[in-house]
Amino acid sequence: MKAAVILSLALSLTACDSAPKVAFADASVTLPDDPMELPEGPGRDAVLENCTACHSPSTMLQQPKVSREKWESIVGKMRTLYKAPVDEAAVPQIVDYMVHVQSVSREPSR
Amino acid sequence: MTDSRLTRRALIAGAGGAALAAPVLAQKLVDLGLPGGPSLRAMDPAFPGKGEMIVQRIRPPLLETPMEVFREGIITPNDRHFVRWNWDLPTAVKAADHRVAVGGAVSQAVSLTLDDVASAGEVVEVVAVNQCAGNGRGLSDPRVTGTQWGNGAMSCAKWTGVRLKDVLAKAGVSDAAKRVRFAGLDVPLTDGAPQFIKSIPMDIAMRDDVLVAWGMNDEPLSLLHGFPLRIVVPGWFSTYWVKMLATIEVLTGEDDSYYVADSYRLPARPITPEDKDFPTIPIAAMPPRAFITSHADGAAVARGKPLTLEGIAMGGDAALGRVDLVGAGFELPCTLGHDEGPYAFRRWTVTIPQVTGNIEQIGVRAANINGLVQPETLTWNPSGYARNVIERITLVAQ
Repeated sequence: MKAAVILSLALSLTACDSAPKVAFADASVTLPDDPMELPEGPGRDAVLENCTACHSPSTMLQQPKVSREKWESIVGKMRTLYKAPVDEAAVPQIVDYMVHVQSVSREPSR
Repeated sequence: MTDSRLTRRALIAGAGGAALAAPVLAQKLVDLGLPGGPSLRAMDPAFPGKGEMIVQRIRPPLLETPMEVFREGIITPNDRHFVRWNWDLPTAVKAADHRVAVGGAVSQAVSLTLDDVASAGEVVEVVAVNQCAGNGRGLSDPRVTGTQWGNGAMSCAKWTGVRLKDVLAKAGVSDAAKRVRFAGLDVPLTDGAPQFIKSIPMDIAMRDDVLVAWGMNDEPLSLLHGFPLRIVVPGWFSTYWVKMLATIEVLTGEDDSYYVADSYRLPARPITPEDKDFPTIPIAAMPPRAFITSHADGAAVARGKPLTLEGIAMGGDAALGRVDLVGAGFELPCTLGHDEGPYAFRRWTVTIPQVTGNIEQIGVRAANINGLVQPETLTWNPSGYARNVIERITLVAQ
């Protein structure tokens, strides 16, 4: 309520110069939860601990199949560029997991 | 970790996969036709203010517009407009508390209220396509990593706001100004990670149709679309259309920030997937694109009858010039529909006099008035940016 009062006052003040063209109201949104459903596999715990703070499992699992070297490069980029607090010892486990889940077809054949 | 534990885990993995399959199959899924997969995407969970969308990522949200939405008209309804956030967005913004700081190479740095911004100049409306630089990335062949969009990371809206140049005038731009950089309220989750900030050259910033916008199809921007203000750069990819605008910074030199200097860049000349260490340029203006919306790949059509195809096209950073239906050994010019301005989608229609058999690998090819034409083959790049190869489908005569 207080914000609404302040807003209407601001509008009436600006109206001295020129008519207000738009009235801005407060906005809020409740976003859906992100279910942490990762299939089992070697290194899953390392992924849950180190990756899911920023990445939806859905996004990880939607990536095209790429090489182990590419996953190593991607995890490296997360550490060096995006400053993800990923323990160096966890990196091979994360890479193992990504290579593993990509080796298992998750979609019905079409 | 012991071998026996690994084995047990492998067994659990098998069971887990089966258990997961049941709820996944119960969901409504869409097949984006991504070569080699994974290609199926869920149409849920629902997001507030949004209709049915392809959920590419839940947090931060990446929501793709289903292609059938583009059958409906030029304007994408707000509840079906695609959503893309690089970092988490605040879930509440108080209008009275919001400020836009205008600083850098200016006469007098200012902190503007929303009403200051709204009264900075004449109110301008522009209909413009908002398209992610990575739209269609998932269709790249060979595939590349990143958000695996189909072709629905694009939408078209009527944007309402004031000119960026009028907002800049509140602070007085230095004669030495080279670029204008924008930052929003979205910030990285990790300390030291690059903030999503983007800049445009001064000549673009001073254009009469580059806006600080608050309106989207005559409604206030929702938070998911950048409430309270977003930059609109008609004809340029939406990476520059910074949402939840909080800072405008005038630069006197090049922008060395990550998302301009190191990311969102294209090879300066065509490359192959084997090439490394090539020069790059920032992705900027959009090229022309066209899509068939009346028929999906594999759709049945009536043998012996005329066939009318419809769709949408865009000219990119210049008005659409023409659209042609192209197939094996034939081309047919399409009739263009209502013109909502150079940066909007435009509908097209074309009639094939008689269907004599399957129509293999047909597509529509857009050209803009500057003579830029959609290519026959994909101009591959390692980030999957700026896809505009002719999109082809096959229709089955019955």
